[in-house]
Amino acid sequence: MDAYRDQYAQLFHGGKDVVLLAVSTDSVGALASWARDAKYPFRFASDSGGVVGRRYGAFNEKYQLDNRTLFVIGPDGRIAWRAAPFREVDPTAYTELAAAIDQAAK
Amino acid sequence: MRRRFIRDAALTAVALAAPGWLAAQATPAVPAAAAPAVGDTAPDFVLPGATAAGAAGPIRLSDFRGKTVVLAFFFKARTKG
Repeated sequence: MDAYRDQYAQLFHGGKDVVLLAVSTDSVGALASWARDAKYPFRFASDSGGVVGRRYGAFNEKYQLDNRTLFVIGPDGRIAWRAAPFREVDPTAYTELAAAIDQAAK
Repeated sequence: MRRRFIRDAALTAVALAAPGWLAAQATPAVPAAAAPAVGDTAPDFVLPGATAAGAAGPIRLSDFRGKTVVLAFFFKARTKG
């Protein structure tokens, strides 16, 4: 999540025409306190129970957590790009993500 | 004697049924789905939101129509990545 924060301006256009929504099964309290401590400038959503994760094929039944999966959704509401899983340690993953966002937000 | 038998039988029935009942409770209400594909309409949802300022009220995906949304699922708060 630190990588998203540190690249917020370039990757997510500083939130101008791009909405970054980070989703996990954590409670609202856990997400809010983490966002405050780490100064995350974007939104979180609490998917306790993994209902939305299941709908997006991201839910891990064994660990009862959402797997790291990314979707870029265009202004028309359609999926423009997805990474399942998103390889967060691979720098090229961010290059691809940036290209997908720029393309969708054009 | 007969009454005790009936009681014991009832308890046994409950004991035998319990694991099945528990298993049924553990079954997810929403079955795991395949990830939506590129070009599909993103399934809409409403979830409780949070920001650095605290609880942020419900977030509805379709409220962001007209903007590009990056939906980033992750494991757990306060973990890397």
